Amino acid sequence: MTNPHWQTDVATRRIERRNAAERRFKLLGLGAIVLSLAFLALLLFIMLKNGLGGLDWDFLSGTDSTSPDVAGVWGATKGSLLTMLVTLLLSFPMGVLAAIYLEEFAPKNRWIDLVEVSINNLAAVPSIIFGLLGLAVFINTLDMPRSSPLVGGLTLALMTMPVIVISGRNAIKAVPPSIRDAALAVGASKVQTVFHHVLPLALPGILTGTIIGMARALGETAPLLMIGMRAFVVTPPGGVTDPSSVLPMQIFLWSDEIDTGFVQNTSAAIIVLLVFLLAMNGIAIYLRNKFEVRW
Amino acid sequence: MNETKLTARNVDVFYGPKKAIDNVSIDIDNGIVTAFIGPSGCGKSTFLRSLNRMNDTIADARVTGEILLDGEDIYAASMDPVALRARVGMVFQKPNPFPKTIYENIAYGPRIHGLAENKADMDAVVESALTKAGLWEEVKDRLTDAGTALSGGQQQRLCIARAIAVSPEVILMDEPCSALDPIATAKIEELIDELKENYAIVIVTHSMQQAARVSQRTAFFHLGNLVEYGETSDIFTNPREEKTKDYITGRYG
Repeated sequence: MTNPHWQTDVATRRIERRNAAERRFKLLGLGAIVLSLAFLALLLFIMLKNGLGGLDWDFLSGTDSTSPDVAGVWGATKGSLLTMLVTLLLSFPMGVLAAIYLEEFAPKNRWIDLVEVSINNLAAVPSIIFGLLGLAVFINTLDMPRSSPLVGGLTLALMTMPVIVISGRNAIKAVPPSIRDAALAVGASKVQTVFHHVLPLALPGILTGTIIGMARALGETAPLLMIGMRAFVVTPPGGVTDPSSVLPMQIFLWSDEIDTGFVQNTSAAIIVLLVFLLAMNGIAIYLRNKFEVRW
Repeated sequence: MNETKLTARNVDVFYGPKKAIDNVSIDIDNGIVTAFIGPSGCGKSTFLRSLNRMNDTIADARVTGEILLDGEDIYAASMDPVALRARVGMVFQKPNPFPKTIYENIAYGPRIHGLAENKADMDAVVESALTKAGLWEEVKDRLTDAGTALSGGQQQRLCIARAIAVSPEVILMDEPCSALDPIATAKIEELIDELKENYAIVIVTHSMQQAARVSQRTAFFHLGNLVEYGETSDIFTNPREEKTKDYITGRYG
């Protein structure tokens, strides 16, 4: 016997209303996704339409020039590569060590709370402030070469490190405590426990955070303006101390040019930057899957 | 004749301001199984974890009083907690194999303690530990499989083998069967019975039947106090304390 409660008009209408609400929500969600994807598609379409024509070997291997036909992107690409290298070499080990210390070794007291709050705040500081800091400390005080990937990398490392610390701590926190117990109980020291067991399990998460931080650094323009990486550089940098530009900066500079020939260059440079970014993400996903332990 | 392996004298354990263990004194002998029983939250696991200083890893845990291993104070400044934990092994409530191969699970401890000179030595240590834990026959053809791919009961025996591999003197077991089915439980209990020849074994258990089956001595804890400690047969058939009697007859707990 069906409970008569379910056969009344009120009940039927309520169920219909509920189903309608579900359909509305699904449509709304779908709409949000379509809208954001449409913008992405539009962006890609315009870029490809304007830029593909200019994307040839001369463009990829050339350097900046006052003439749009001759101008190429290799100088800026190499500058970005070198800058990212400096950023990665500094921010990754520092960020990971800081995350390990805070999560596994630090005593629980007010000083450590203060350090925690500071790191979280650091991650939210507008990037131009880091540029000012880089200008004041690295160039003015430490007398490092202006416009160089070294100073750019150092500045961006300051920005990237807190992101790595935060994601690293979350990844370390997600390793089940039972693994630590297991290692300690067979007589592993704290450091052995962390480096033999906790860190390998946290590594995929740490790498994800690192790549997010690096991708943000790669696209960063504002702090590099402050340290002079907007200079017009015709020779690609030979090392991290040579003056150089970076991809987003090159895009910014070209977009400012009056000569209409630079419109194509700007779009083509954006395509190069996007490919660079995709490659970085691809490597990150590969590494993450490689180190991921399932259990 | 059994000799005393572990001695606790007037041990208190605090978590911050909260006293979890109150003035417990107990002698634990070699060659037998000692069971800790009592209702949830009575402090039996806390006390167990203070016997190999696993409580050190909890920030605000503090142990006072004296715990002696072969007459040596394990909380003395001269005692290295890392070395201590190799001598006093531990098996946990939920099987916690490392997410590595079966072989690596066993070999890890001996390797960090330098117990094997070469690969052949290590192979022998792994085989011996797995054999003692009654797992060798089941896993000898798949030592490179993940330890986490084994069944729950096998995982727990792997954890016991991992503890045995570093040649401990005492094995502490914190409700080792609570996550296992009855058949796996029976296997572990059999194993505990065999192992007691060579180690002092302390087992915390929620199951009074299990305590009765596997242990020779039983300690009954209640609200952080050691209420009664004696031969298992006496505790279950002829308890001296009213509280013990109430607990084992199922009036609370």
